[in-house]
Amino acid sequence: MLLISCPNCGPRDETEFHYGGQAHIAYPENPNDLSDREWAEYLFYRENTKGTFAERWVHSTGCRQWFNMLRDTVSYDIHAIYAMGQPRPDYPADQASAPGLAPGAATPASSATTPTSSEGV
Amino acid sequence: MAETATPAETANVDHVRAARRSPGQHLAEAFASGSVPGTVTLTEIPYQTMVGIRVDRESDGGARVASLTGGLPAACGEVTGAGSINSLWLGPAEFLVVAPEEAHDSLCGSLVADLTAALGSDPGQVVDLSANRTTYELSGSRARAVLEKTCSLDLHPRVFKAGTALATELAHIPVLLWKTGEESYRVFPRASFADFLGRWILDAMREYASPEVP
Amino acid sequence: MSADHLPEHPDFLWRNPDPKKSYDAVIVGGGGHGLATAYFLAKNHGMTNIAILEKGWLAGGNMARNTTIIRSNYLWDESAAIYEHALKLWEILPEELEYDFLFSQRGVMNLAHTLGDVRESIRRVGANRLNGVDAEWLDPQQVKELCPILNTSDNIRYPVMGATYQPRAGIAKHDHVAWAFARKCDELGVDIIQNCEVTGFIKDGDKVTGVKTSRGTINTEKVGLCAAGHSSVLAEMAGFRLPIQSHPLQALVSELHEPVHPTVVMSNHVHVYVSQAHKGELVMGAGVDSYNGYGQRGSFHVIEEQMAAAVELFPIFARAHVLRTWGGIVDTTLDASPIVGVTPVENMFVNCGWGTGGFKGTPAAGLTFAHTIATGAPHELNKPFALERFETGALIDEHGAAAVAH
Repeated sequence: MLLISCPNCGPRDETEFHYGGQAHIAYPENPNDLSDREWAEYLFYRENTKGTFAERWVHSTGCRQWFNMLRDTVSYDIHAIYAMGQPRPDYPADQASAPGLAPGAATPASSATTPTSSEGV
Repeated sequence: MAETATPAETANVDHVRAARRSPGQHLAEAFASGSVPGTVTLTEIPYQTMVGIRVDRESDGGARVASLTGGLPAACGEVTGAGSINSLWLGPAEFLVVAPEEAHDSLCGSLVADLTAALGSDPGQVVDLSANRTTYELSGSRARAVLEKTCSLDLHPRVFKAGTALATELAHIPVLLWKTGEESYRVFPRASFADFLGRWILDAMREYASPEVP
Repeated sequence: MSADHLPEHPDFLWRNPDPKKSYDAVIVGGGGHGLATAYFLAKNHGMTNIAILEKGWLAGGNMARNTTIIRSNYLWDESAAIYEHALKLWEILPEELEYDFLFSQRGVMNLAHTLGDVRESIRRVGANRLNGVDAEWLDPQQVKELCPILNTSDNIRYPVMGATYQPRAGIAKHDHVAWAFARKCDELGVDIIQNCEVTGFIKDGDKVTGVKTSRGTINTEKVGLCAAGHSSVLAEMAGFRLPIQSHPLQALVSELHEPVHPTVVMSNHVHVYVSQAHKGELVMGAGVDSYNGYGQRGSFHVIEEQMAAAVELFPIFARAHVLRTWGGIVDTTLDASPIVGVTPVENMFVNCGWGTGGFKGTPAAGLTFAHTIATGAPHELNKPFALERFETGALIDEHGAAAVAH
């Protein structure tokens, strides 16, 4: 069980969230201009990183807001949580930049805002 | 709310009241016999008026809505309001206004219409969600222990304080959990989950009917 | 007791050779598919100067972690053809490999719990029959007769409204299957090289010419990738992409019991698949975790939900104890069908995307992939499963028959 720190609601069980796959995939500006190969890349091809991966989650039984997350796909450690639309933070190069809260997000109810992960039994 | 109801309005109200069935109505007897007075009790508070609001609370429309509801909550957990009308935080721009059944427009109230008028044509929405969820009230010294059997949130009073409400899961069911007093919780399950959750909570209460083993 | 009293070690089933400097072909991945591919390369195509490179130990990945179900009742013609061919091979392989790997054709039931399920299932039975796959539709009474421990009462959340049934389907002992293939590969001259991790590929332009490994560089004419959950990692090393997402898939076993469960029962809807292993454990598959993951473990709530569903369908399981749970990494595609064929890199071939159902496909994957590697062109059976289908749009959507949510 992942423990995910929602930027709005604080740490919650993984079961409250839904997974949205790889982050930072933009809809093509001119889909009609794409070749079949390029369209297939957009539609079907996603990174399958072994290691630090930028992905989207939505807090579906909580605030219903989407956010981005940097997570290690081997250790399942969560390295950073950041707002939709924000660029992917550097990791591990720039660990000093405090990950976690989306700018402008409301203060979470819980005091524990540092993204942490813990795995279930 | 209208000061006095006309005979026609009264007749309509009686008609509405007679036609309703609340999602937990069939469990009322089981709730009564399963409750342990002074320890843990479960009741349904049916037909509360609930209005879903989506609005930027910093906007003019948000301010007009807030003036009717006694404020809109700013952060997760917050509940605003005074007296019988309260607003629960659902998201950064999403709130649930909860009021007694009499506030509903079908019972000579005007809450939905008033909120709709307050938002006007500004961006956002006001939706009557009164039939979406029912309300269970769980109270007593063991109420927290019952919830802790399924709720993964920290319900200890130093963290979960009276007067706050959170959206979470109980028994895999998405609910709103509002702590209304030190030993009193209101749980809002969607209507279709009300039977399941009601029976689940009853089952979780059973052990407190037996004498405690020293 | 001193070592003198220990008996002689029985004959090893395969050698443990050091890698040679070069091979005619190298298979990456020493699981079921890699072993089967090497076997058919040697047997059908006379390619015996070949090696299987395995990062860990032989058949220690998904081959050691699957729930051993074998069936061929897939919906579309392309899938029915390749899975049915696999099933026919399963039927002759114990004799061919001279190894009884306990292939037990005890039948597989796929339960229907909703009207939608019923319609989809009956459609699939019809499609299966047209493709020569044995398939029957069972009503709840027939389900109960075949598997008496199933709860077929109306008093459950998702009552059993019927089931598809494939009598020739069943289970096999997965590690015996691996050992059977390994012994034959070894006899045919194939080098099985364990503890040999691939760290890169040597290319001449767009053509692969060698493999860098933790045990040195190996030159090779051809490379076949059979690495399941790690296929994307290898493809990235080789410089191309795959439309694969790797997810943890979990399973569990109970302690040993007397025989209680005569067949294999699968339910898409409440998400259970369970059989009783020869030794007596109840073997159950759970679901995939929604997130991408390479950890061979998953979230506990997935196991919890699986157990709840299993106990509802099989009330007597409530008294069984879980012995252990584990996870494997499955390589899922968007259409729940595998990818077997050529890659953008010349002389490099890929067999992946079998997702949650690779075990049953082992012999056909090996046969068709060996053909593809040996001849440079796909076998008739794996032609539709080319990588290029994601560009042409000729997808083979088997989400309904794949049984585990992809």
